Amino acid sequence: MTSPQHLVSSVLTIAEMEARKLRHDSTELWMRAVQPALWLLIFGEVFNGIRGLAPGGFSYIQFIAPGVLAQSVLFVSIFYGITIVWERDVGLLTKLLSTPSPRIAVVVGKALAAGVRGVFQGVMIFALALIIGVNLRFDPFDVAGVFIVVVLFAMCFASLSMTLASFLKTRDRMMGIGQAITIPLFFGSNAIYPVSLMPAWLQVISAYNPLSYVVDAMRAMLLTGDYSSLPLDIFALVLSTAIFIGAASMVLKRLIE
Amino acid sequence: MRAIEARSLTKVYPGGTKAVDDVSFDVEEGEIFGLLGPNGAGKTTTIKMITTLARPSSGSATVFGVDASRSPEQVRQMLGFVPQTISVDGDLTGYENLLIFAKLFFVERGQRKARISEALEYFGLTERANDLVKHYSGGMMRRLEIAQALVNRPRLLFLDEPSIGLDPYSRMQVIKQIKELNQNFGTTIFVTTHDMNEADELCDRLAIMNLGKIAVSGSPTELKKSMGGDVLTVTVSGGLPDSIPKELGSTISSEEGVVKILTEDGERAIPRITDYLEGKGTLVESVSLSRPTLDDVFMKYAKAGITQETSFREARSARRSIVRHGR
Ligand SMILES: Nc1ncnc2c1ncn2[C@@H]1O[C@H](COP(=O)(O)OP(=O)(O)OP(=O)(O)O)[C@@H](O)[C@H]1O
Ligand SMILES: [Mg+2]
Repeated sequence: MTSPQHLVSSVLTIAEMEARKLRHDSTELWMRAVQPALWLLIFGEVFNGIRGLAPGGFSYIQFIAPGVLAQSVLFVSIFYGITIVWERDVGLLTKLLSTPSPRIAVVVGKALAAGVRGVFQGVMIFALALIIGVNLRFDPFDVAGVFIVVVLFAMCFASLSMTLASFLKTRDRMMGIGQAITIPLFFGSNAIYPVSLMPAWLQVISAYNPLSYVVDAMRAMLLTGDYSSLPLDIFALVLSTAIFIGAASMVLKRLIE
Repeated sequence: MRAIEARSLTKVYPGGTKAVDDVSFDVEEGEIFGLLGPNGAGKTTTIKMITTLARPSSGSATVFGVDASRSPEQVRQMLGFVPQTISVDGDLTGYENLLIFAKLFFVERGQRKARISEALEYFGLTERANDLVKHYSGGMMRRLEIAQALVNRPRLLFLDEPSIGLDPYSRMQVIKQIKELNQNFGTTIFVTTHDMNEADELCDRLAIMNLGKIAVSGSPTELKKSMGGDVLTVTVSGGLPDSIPKELGSTISSEEGVVKILTEDGERAIPRITDYLEGKGTLVESVSLSRPTLDDVFMKYAKAGITQETSFREARSARRSIVRHGR
């Protein structure tokens, strides 16, 4: 068995590897900030005119800011399955798996890197919100809390995506499944409209949609300050992250067989 | 202690291909061991099983006494692996590639920097150390991969066709560096190749694999000797007889009017074979006599596997590796 120090050091090394790549070429990072910006600037502004769309007396743009953040983190992290297939195709995965570092370190390291990208998305969206004057609770503890949720959420979906990649094995299929997962999750959640506006069947789906819990948690911290459901949200997130990390570590090897 | 003990290793892929079929062999500590064989013989699959990247369908492999299936991480700590297709990370610099993999191999922090600069220097990469690897040439990428072994100092290094795609000078360089790694650090080396000259020069011992089985093994000298006698290369025109009588020798290969025949005593056999062929209406244009080379050994044992189909596959896999380089 690997010692805990070795495990931690391997995880950090894999994350460092990703971070160094981002430092060499950060174009993608900036490109990925465009989409959430459009959601806020266009979609948000257009619907902002309609009163009463958002519950609790908030403006619509306030309401969707956490939703847009959650959505952009989802899109960033689901991409990790494609990355790992690509790394398999260029032989890099074989090389990583031939090192003494444990498999779980590869998964957790990459998932952490997804978390780092997620935090970057968060910073961009917060910056934009400040610029266009969206009123969020920028309390240090709340912002830190949001970032913790972002990291967990990114790790969760990056691991899910790597698990799927181990079965689907090609980039094309991963692109397909990425779309097939993210779009329904997004529209079947409370990210851009309140649950109360949904038809009954969609409300049921939304109640089981992990994205809804993430958005809930973020809204609690950024808008309402009502933390009552936060423990449950975070517990669910930690649990599913652990499950998907475990699953990905077990099946990752299928990619190179 | 033996570096590798492979016992009845067998791998059946999900599609039903029996890539490796009941293979057993030993590699002694400190030697350079070559595994030769035509495309699709099962060389890479054998390496994957020993490096714990693939699970054997049956059989076992131990590395310095440690079972690969039972303690994979402990085994990988002793191994270096240079895969068949180039697998350095193009989005990192040469220095970063060495650094990251040194960390993943748990090379002590105090030794990392010194070893990395030593390795860069030794492989002539110091000047380009801070360039992104995707801008390197294929030869430089290969050197960088082998440089990783110099940083991580594995006890056992696997090289899967290390000289593929290299120009003759780079190839010579790489062979020399592999040898020095073996001599200076006592690294046991397991290498696969299609190049018989390379195998002859590099390997202390080798095994020829075909259709998932080891056909023959021994030192290059032993193998050449085991062929017995001389090789006659006969150039002919006109149709050839289906076979030649056993007492004259045995055909190793026959292609486009050039027949290679293995005989016990070449000088005496020349007139007899010439007479025989001319008696069958074949015009003999020239005959030359040579000692068996490793090529001849290879042709003899690997013949059955070399068909039209595999040469198509070779072309395809060569193209694939070019495509990969390009990215
Ligand atoms: N992942 C795989 N799934 C199914 N079959 C495979 C897989 N990998 C290899 N094979 C098959 O197993 C056989 C042995 O392949 P292997 O790659 O071990 O040969 P090799 O000796 O390394 O060949 P080459 O010299 O071309 O690299 C081939 O018939 C190949 O098609
Ligand atoms: Mg191979």
